[in-house]
Amino acid sequence: MNCLQVEKHFSAYFEDTLDYQTLQTFEGHFAECETCQAEYTRFQESVKAVQQLPQIEPSPYFIPALQQRLTTEERETRSIKDVLTTQWQQLLDVFRRPKWAFSGVFALILAAAGTYFYQDLRPGPVATTPLTKQVATSPEVFPVQQSRRVAADRNQLLRGSVISTPTQPMQQRYMLKQVSYTTTSTSGGL
Amino acid sequence: MPDLDDELMERYQKGDENAFTLLVRRHQQPLVNFIARFINDRDSAEDLAQETFIRIFKAAHRYKSEGAHFKTWMYHIASNLCKNELRNRGRRDRYRVDNVVNSGNDSDGDAEQIDLIGNAPANPAYQPEVALERKELQNAIQKAISELPEQYRLPLVLRDLQGLSYDEISEVLELRDGTTKSRINRARLMLKEKLKPFI
Ligand SMILES: [Zn+2]
Repeated sequence: MNCLQVEKHFSAYFEDTLDYQTLQTFEGHFAECETCQAEYTRFQESVKAVQQLPQIEPSPYFIPALQQRLTTEERETRSIKDVLTTQWQQLLDVFRRPKWAFSGVFALILAAAGTYFYQDLRPGPVATTPLTKQVATSPEVFPVQQSRRVAADRNQLLRGSVISTPTQPMQQRYMLKQVSYTTTSTSGGL
Repeated sequence: MPDLDDELMERYQKGDENAFTLLVRRHQQPLVNFIARFINDRDSAEDLAQETFIRIFKAAHRYKSEGAHFKTWMYHIASNLCKNELRNRGRRDRYRVDNVVNSGNDSDGDAEQIDLIGNAPANPAYQPEVALERKELQNAIQKAISELPEQYRLPLVLRDLQGLSYDEISEVLELRDGTTKSRINRARLMLKEKLKPFI
């Protein structure tokens, strides 16, 4: 066992959980090595100092404040549930009356028929051609505009305010910064 | 053998409201201590501890005493809330650094950190110099803990400040036993180095 290996067993030695074999080799090195002895003494002292840190107490308002929050949460959940049940109930009630049920079904048939005929009348692939043409002729324009719009959306989200779309040079720099910010935030921990 | 926490949870599931209050009373102090030490912020600790209890309250009907232990479940929820809080702070800080010109080391916006000197209790056998020295050491230790990387700080706080067993910590953090042990040893070694000027 060398110094580095001995160091890996400091906690187990401190907590007296080393098995017989490891303890023998650990103590074999330890008896000979003054560096390890000194390091272990400091290790032991710092662990003890950490363990002796005073306990932090909650304030006397902890439980009343928690009760308050729980009551609010419960009330909110209940009111959402109530709203959902009443709306659902109202919808069901409508269809329980035979006259309304018949009109409902009739309206659905009308809507379906309307959609069917509308699709038949619509010009087919012609309507999409201008857009595809535009993208095809200037391939690099679309992604740039898109990314600017995404950046502006992010900006809006982050700052909670509306930003005008025309990009002045300064604003453009600001937006680039925002993009780099969002990319770093996904990769980082603490 | 079911412990008292499990029994209280069972009682609460059957409609005994007092059982939940009792659970909160039993665990509020260790929970606040854990969060405050881990995120180094006493004020947010109360808020996050309350949030932990709210989550427990909401998920209480799903709790099964055979599958988990209340204590490890509670610390698991609290740890995740703390990690989210720290991540959000990191994002807010990065946003500030990106957008504030000449910000330097802006300390005014930072969360209130644990000031043990300010929170010192009144002691009848009060020796100012000794007390100050001890408080300085305590502040240095708290600072050193807060500088540890999260993956080492979390098991260290659970072990050396909350007194959880290695098995319990592995359960809380969903780690293998060997990983928990080596991370705690590593964290202690890092602290030893950070505390060199004091110990
Ligand atoms: Zn050595």
